[in-house]
Amino acid sequence: MNYVDFVNQRIKAVTASKRLVVYGQNVSTGSCLSGLSRGFDKIPGHTVINTTNSEATLVGIGFGLMLRGVSSIFFMKQQDFLLLGIEQLSDTWNALRNRPVDASFTIAAIIVDSGWEGPQSCLNNLADITSVSRVPGFTVSNRADAEAVIDRHVHAPGVRIIGVSQRLLRTPLIEYGEPVTFGPDAGVVRYAEGGEATIVAYNLAFPQAMTLHQEFAKRGRKASLFSVSATMPESVDVILANVARTRRLAVVDDSKSVNSPACVLIAAAHARAPGLAAIEIGRHWTPDSSAPNADTLEIDVERVIDALGVTA
Amino acid sequence: MIDNQIHLAREILRLRLSQLLINERYKARDFRVPIHLALGHEALAVALAEIMRDGDQILLPHRNLHYNLARTHSLKAIVAEFLLRKTGLARGKYGSMNLFNAEQGVLYASGILGNNLSVSAGVALAEKVTGSGAVTFVVTGDGAMEEGAFYETLIFLAGQSLASVVVVENNGWSLASRIDERRAPIDVERLAQGCGAGYRKLAGNDVFVYADALEQVRGDATNGKRPVVVEVALKTLGDWRQPTEEFPDGKYINYHAGPAPTTSVAPWPLLAADASDPLHVLCGHFGEAALKAEAETMLAALRKDVA
Repeated sequence: MNYVDFVNQRIKAVTASKRLVVYGQNVSTGSCLSGLSRGFDKIPGHTVINTTNSEATLVGIGFGLMLRGVSSIFFMKQQDFLLLGIEQLSDTWNALRNRPVDASFTIAAIIVDSGWEGPQSCLNNLADITSVSRVPGFTVSNRADAEAVIDRHVHAPGVRIIGVSQRLLRTPLIEYGEPVTFGPDAGVVRYAEGGEATIVAYNLAFPQAMTLHQEFAKRGRKASLFSVSATMPESVDVILANVARTRRLAVVDDSKSVNSPACVLIAAAHARAPGLAAIEIGRHWTPDSSAPNADTLEIDVERVIDALGVTA
Repeated sequence: MIDNQIHLAREILRLRLSQLLINERYKARDFRVPIHLALGHEALAVALAEIMRDGDQILLPHRNLHYNLARTHSLKAIVAEFLLRKTGLARGKYGSMNLFNAEQGVLYASGILGNNLSVSAGVALAEKVTGSGAVTFVVTGDGAMEEGAFYETLIFLAGQSLASVVVVENNGWSLASRIDERRAPIDVERLAQGCGAGYRKLAGNDVFVYADALEQVRGDATNGKRPVVVEVALKTLGDWRQPTEEFPDGKYINYHAGPAPTTSVAPWPLLAADASDPLHVLCGHFGEAALKAEAETMLAALRKDVA
């Protein structure tokens, strides 16, 4: 099974017995957003609407539905379209966040994390969107984090944004290690436990972090591997405790903006374990970064090993 | 019918006197939250509150005091909210611009121009999905309708056949700029019709005319399964002249928010002797003497309520 089909089927499975409004541009026509929103119109009790191109109002509609007790999912072809709905996310959510609601409002947005769209690929960091209004946000990139996030959050009262990777859409679903979910929000998943280093993925960088973990293993080094799917995780204590033991931290973050929750983790790790070896594997921004390009986040494994002081 | 007319007249007096009492305390710096008085808007608010039925919802902009007063029969609870007290209408958590009262159908209020329009589209959709038969009312202004949300909301409401009433309070001003200073005139009727919405224009501040018209509009929205835009010409009273070096005789200041410095509470709270004041229009129905007597009694009761 590929990644997008798994996400699509998982969302349908958790919402199948519920009354739900599914809406967005072309959600039940054309490719159905590359398959992400396919088939909701076949589920009894679901109202599916192919909407106008009015993102600000479409976000407001989800809040209006929620206020009247109707759950909804707004599927969005590109996360950067959500910029047009930022006012609603910020002002409406902050006006509603303390009001009791029974219904859920989920925005499922495809994050353009490939580079061929050029300028539209520049906003690939879900945390940028969620930090504006402190709307909970979660990225999903593999079976374990998709299950944890979708099962826990899609039908829970309140609002959240789920970021789906465009790069991974048609790729085989990643299943790796022995996943264990942590945190009341299921915002952290551990895939492997090892005592020589701690590898942590942010945003949609799990494939790269997994590759790094595999490269460590090839060299006979046992590392722990985590992904932080929540943009504002309720707790990263399990990671910090792990870092305190390994004293070596590699954070892989594919975000292109300067607003990186990964930096917060690194700072917290330094506070918890002074003198630890840490490296952030991220983007090197140049003026050409906004031009269409392959946009792969490469990892120099030897440099990471050197930085962490892990001898091969 | 007569009883109901007296009820509506009393409501206009109550809204006017309540606002003037709030203004007095505002002038005395009792309130820290920004408040937008709606003096001169009372006839519309009273009429709208009157024709809303059980289950109907209204979504308001930042100038929402008149609607909240009309749907909430407690000045005390609103004053307590403005003082951010736990006894306030929204437990002292929302102040003025976001003040709501869900139990009375005031579902949501927004401080941001046009924001409530988009949310109202979702509310109207919810009524359709649940088959409630309720109508969604949303209030905006001639400034907020310049936002894209106005157009976006109209085409969504019309496209989804949603029973909704979009009220445009057209006072001709956006804060300190007049319409003719900031844009070309907009033919709201043609704009509404171009989007598939109905249209009705109201003017004159006669609460009885407004109530009848809005009842018809509600029926049109319900039967036609469509949005209807109601454009209401009105004047926000409380304006004043402020002498400056450039304007020694006083520069005209349109009232937008904050205390109205030259407006004071009085037993007879008429603010303008023309149709811009709903109270003046009311005198044509009942005579000034009868209303004055009623106002005096009501003012004493309201003072006691918030003492």
